[in-house]
Amino acid sequence: MAFVEQLISNLLYGAILGSVYGLATMGLSLIFGVLRIVNVGHGAFIMVGAFIAYWMFILYGIPPLISLFLAIAVGMAIGLAIYMLVVKRLVDAPELASLLAMFAIGIFIEEFAKQIWGADYVGYSWEIGGVSMLFTEVPFTKLLAFASSIVIAAVVYVWFRKTKIGKAVRAVVEDREGATTCGIDVNRIYALSFSLGIGLTVLSGVLVTLFTPVGINVYMGGEYTLKAFVIAVLGGLASPWGAFYAGFIFGLIENGSYTLLGLIPGVEPFGLTRFLSSVVLMLVLLVKPTGLLGGE
Amino acid sequence: MRNYTPLVTLLLIYAVMIAIGQGIQGMWQPIMLVIFYIAVGQALNIFLGMTGYVNFGYVALLGVGAYGMAVALGYYTDLGLIPALTLGFILAILLAFIVSMVVGGIALRLRGAYFAIATIGVNEGIKYLILGGKIWGGSSGIVLSGILRKAYGAETMRFLSTVFADAGLIVVAILSGIITMYILNSRLGYGLIALREDEDAAKVMGINVRRYKQIAFVISCILAGLIGATAWTLKLTYVFPQDVFAINYTVEAIVIVMLGGAGTLLGPVVGGLIYALLKYYLTIAFPGMQLLILAPLLIIVILLFPEGVVGYLAKAARGTRFEKFVR
Repeated sequence: MAFVEQLISNLLYGAILGSVYGLATMGLSLIFGVLRIVNVGHGAFIMVGAFIAYWMFILYGIPPLISLFLAIAVGMAIGLAIYMLVVKRLVDAPELASLLAMFAIGIFIEEFAKQIWGADYVGYSWEIGGVSMLFTEVPFTKLLAFASSIVIAAVVYVWFRKTKIGKAVRAVVEDREGATTCGIDVNRIYALSFSLGIGLTVLSGVLVTLFTPVGINVYMGGEYTLKAFVIAVLGGLASPWGAFYAGFIFGLIENGSYTLLGLIPGVEPFGLTRFLSSVVLMLVLLVKPTGLLGGE
Repeated sequence: MRNYTPLVTLLLIYAVMIAIGQGIQGMWQPIMLVIFYIAVGQALNIFLGMTGYVNFGYVALLGVGAYGMAVALGYYTDLGLIPALTLGFILAILLAFIVSMVVGGIALRLRGAYFAIATIGVNEGIKYLILGGKIWGGSSGIVLSGILRKAYGAETMRFLSTVFADAGLIVVAILSGIITMYILNSRLGYGLIALREDEDAAKVMGINVRRYKQIAFVISCILAGLIGATAWTLKLTYVFPQDVFAINYTVEAIVIVMLGGAGTLLGPVVGGLIYALLKYYLTIAFPGMQLLILAPLLIIVILLFPEGVVGYLAKAARGTRFEKFVR
């Protein structure tokens, strides 16, 4: 059964890609969970990470796994700068203000990047062989992306659970006034969470490039913004862990439906999967706005 | 207290603009650009300005409106010119109505940020439905110029794409202004402003917030559909999914509303004037850099002048004899 084989290998691929999707959404959920700010410009930061991976590889031959460290450092610096300049003043402002500001920041980053890097599609390929799994050949690069997503998510998890500052972040999420009374500097926690959220997002952009051989472009983020919101909503929006698990679910839905939609004659399945993402987003918000995985 | 006098200011501004456009050589094109942006802002303002909810899928409504007109003119040419045009307007309104009822029916059950998130997928969703499902020509769009020339002659086509399209857009723009004024003076408007300030309190006071939001959303979306039908399909005589679902129009509309003053009648007019003229001359001076300039401008407006130009002017005019003319 060629179709079943294709479906199974696509689902396997979906699970691998889903781990990266999950990681790419953790930053969004972290920022919403702590600051109650929706980062509508999310995709632009993924694009920054993708370009970091591209340039490090092309200019210095540095493999993407090493670029991860640079990406999180750059991302955290950008995040801190945005927090200090803009977000700090909008934490207690009406939602309208922070939504529009994040939207504008995302566009600014894209347009700024266009001035530096141009509007062309670029890409690189990092060939290190592959391994045969089930019915398909999976490149090592994708397995490495899978493994590093899980390791990074686990590190963040342990950091939140075990360290003092991670506990302080959770305390602020739980009760801002209470945390202040206990001597936690809420402003610092906000700054840290925001820059960590952006850092994780930029970092995930590096891993995204392992799946899009020639898809690096300054406007590539829009697609990931939409996907990230579908995933974040599936995972309960405010929970980074929910987002990580929901990433897997979304990867499976996306690749499974791609195979199934391919059976319909006369349509273009890739476009329809993107239509499906927005339908899933609407349906989840309609049926269970707190997320499929429970949420708060 | 009902007060329709700001409409005098509004109509005066349109009269001056049209006079300048017709009187001075080469000014008609920038004036029509200004009116397009005023209309786009005015239609968005009815929802965003009055409820404080952000609709990130706004441009999709202009897009479906454009498609409604294009489908009627392109596929029902045999009906004759007047019936096809009428059908075009009906389809534009109907498609915008259906999309806004579905999106609003689902998304307006959600508050603030969740609503905004729900609308993020609307534009992409419709665009990829058309591209992926190969509906209405898919990525090759609908090109009307050949069809129209063959069916009605070159003279009629030129009339349609110039005089008729421009007049239609001006009518839609002014209509949006009049509807805004009517809402501001009605029970609906008071309810919307109450829910913008505090949704829970408004609900407790007996305002059917869900219904009010839905009405404002549908009105805003239908006007957007009419703008798409006139300013895009009739004027340009072609529709491509990549063009009519371009997200930069959503950004531009939001900038115009925020710059001019959300929830005011004259806000989108002032915002549209400033923005369109800036854009017209910036495009000449710095091609391809409008969004780069626009985005920081929006951030600055949000941080420093959250009330916009007209919000500020209305405050300054309070107690003077101009008070009644600014809103």
